[in-house]
Amino acid sequence: MIAPPLPIAEEVPFQAARPGAGAAHVFRQLLRRPNGLVGLAILAVFTVLAIAPELFVGPLETAVTATGPRLGPPSAEFPFGTDEVGRSVLNLTVHATRISMVIGLLATIITVGVGAVLGILSGYVGGRFDSTMMRIADFFLVMPTFVLAIILTAIIRDVLGTGSKEILGMRLSLLVIVVVIGLTSWSSTARIIRSQVLSLRERAFVDRARVVGASAGYIMRRHLLPNVMNLIVANAVLTFAGAVLTETTLSFVGLGDPFQPSWGQLLDAARSVGAPGLGKWWYFVPAGTAVVLVVFAFTLLGNALDEILNPRRRGRS
Amino acid sequence: MSGAAGRVAGRRQWPLPRDADPDAPLLEVEHLTTHFRLPNATVHAVDDVSFRLNDGEALGIAGESGCGKTTTALSLVRILPSNARIVSGTVKLFGIDLVQKSPAALRRYRWREIAIVFQGAMNALNPVRRIRDQIAEPLEERLQVPRRDARKRADELLELVGIPRGRGSAYPHELSGGMRQRSMIAMALACDPAVIVGDEPTTALDVMVQAQILELFERLRHELGLSLILITHDLSVIAETCDRVLVMYAGKVAEEGAVSTVFRNPRHPYTGKLLGAFPNIRADRRTLDVIPGSPPDLREPPKACPFAPRCPMARDLCREVMPPEVTLPDGVRVACHLWPAGSDGVTPAWTTPSKPQLEIGADAGVAAGADAGAPARDVA
Repeated sequence: MIAPPLPIAEEVPFQAARPGAGAAHVFRQLLRRPNGLVGLAILAVFTVLAIAPELFVGPLETAVTATGPRLGPPSAEFPFGTDEVGRSVLNLTVHATRISMVIGLLATIITVGVGAVLGILSGYVGGRFDSTMMRIADFFLVMPTFVLAIILTAIIRDVLGTGSKEILGMRLSLLVIVVVIGLTSWSSTARIIRSQVLSLRERAFVDRARVVGASAGYIMRRHLLPNVMNLIVANAVLTFAGAVLTETTLSFVGLGDPFQPSWGQLLDAARSVGAPGLGKWWYFVPAGTAVVLVVFAFTLLGNALDEILNPRRRGRS
Repeated sequence: MSGAAGRVAGRRQWPLPRDADPDAPLLEVEHLTTHFRLPNATVHAVDDVSFRLNDGEALGIAGESGCGKTTTALSLVRILPSNARIVSGTVKLFGIDLVQKSPAALRRYRWREIAIVFQGAMNALNPVRRIRDQIAEPLEERLQVPRRDARKRADELLELVGIPRGRGSAYPHELSGGMRQRSMIAMALACDPAVIVGDEPTTALDVMVQAQILELFERLRHELGLSLILITHDLSVIAETCDRVLVMYAGKVAEEGAVSTVFRNPRHPYTGKLLGAFPNIRADRRTLDVIPGSPPDLREPPKACPFAPRCPMARDLCREVMPPEVTLPDGVRVACHLWPAGSDGVTPAWTTPSKPQLEIGADAGVAAGADAGAPARDVA
């Protein structure tokens, strides 16, 4: 369930990608579409929760500071009930937003960054570099990504150690998840961008740039990149949704970081105390709903962006 | 004309190439031959073409599609497809032979000395970049001008070709076809090149816009002392813009000379046919004088006159012997048996074909028989 491939056929016949598609213009277009508007609204709410969870539910509760009953049902004091040590599930779910979103964001940056750079390089340089890169990409495409992610997580943790070391202010185990998601999902982005670059590089303006004296770097940066920007943006949004899901899944099978709550952690904790079997639905429904909502929002947004930026779909909706 | 190098140096900031010969003509092409290699054949796209471009002159290259016009022009600075190769000949710019230059050394000349206005401006412009930035590109990438200065210069260039400064921030799709072509011209002018090659610069434009673009070329020639090679199949464009015309057929020069002389008195039957195939807006409605047949297959170029099978004047001689290029007294160079060496340029060698064209097949049969006979004799 990593980075669902874009609903864009390979080799989109090139039409003048709508130029002048400045950020402001795209934003206005987004607000005009129901799917874009709803997606943005849901994400805005979660972004605010991720930035300042304390404002809404106070500091993160721990087993020590917990005040509620064990696995208490929703009440006025604990709207989403409590967990097995008496922490408010609402508090945990809101605090988990940040970890899930940050992991999603970082994983997306890595995925799309690596995918875009390798896709453009591969498509433009061609030759042996291209075949090597694409064989590597194929490897990651055909591997069941989730199995690969589980194995990689275990290996990377073993190599780097699991202690409480921090890199870039993040606990190592979270970074591991980010790296794993990036490693397993860059390939589809790279493939999509490469295929577009393959058709772009045959276009007259690339030839002209070469004749005019532009270096390969300049052509890739200033001619090809702007032309595949629409693919990159739409892809990034869908990758984000995939990354949140992957993080949740990895945490759910116990490969997350127990010290920082994420939605996956919560679901894992709920499973380990047997909440579903005991009928304590309030323990896992909030986190599950949050995951579904974020993924849903990103999918809506991704589709809306695709409609706006993809010349093939433009004007059809 | 001597002093071409000095005049070019005088009107621009960038230095000339170091080994430029001040007394050499601007551009001199001699015996240029370019082949395309196909999987199992070689296309003789340009075959022994020579011409000269003087400083400040406009030369038109005319001919049907596939006769080697564009390949000739692209061979000048070797912007050819990867399967093309210049087999022989020289291209001398300020006396420097560009054919001998390594690909790396040749880059010094592309766009800086010989710039090209490409066919189809819409395709040659990146749809998602502002035209100002695209025009600044050769300055930035070729002459290492800082980006800011390059953009300022791009605005000046836009103004020079008649586009208001403010339009520089437009994207190609926001401009009309004429404006796009103008910005391509601005891009070609960016480095003050010694020669500008227009590869069908007006082909996709309507007549009014076409006239404006030609007027622009004309103005730039006078203002900047531009030297121009104009490739087109539209003879009226050449008549309007050029000083001299080079008519090509099947990768070879058919006729070359001053536009007024050649158009008034075409010596090569092909030139005559080409002029006849052109609609005259003032004449009564009539069928155009179409040239029957099609150009020869350049994978196996004919050993004799390539135009003979379509030529109303062809004689046996034409079907057997390749006509040499002959310069007539009035300076017209022509490759046709009608005008043998020493001809006065007024009376052709004959006025009617010796045999009706039906007998071409018979001739071919005789030729084939002769060929077949040779190995047979060897065996005996």
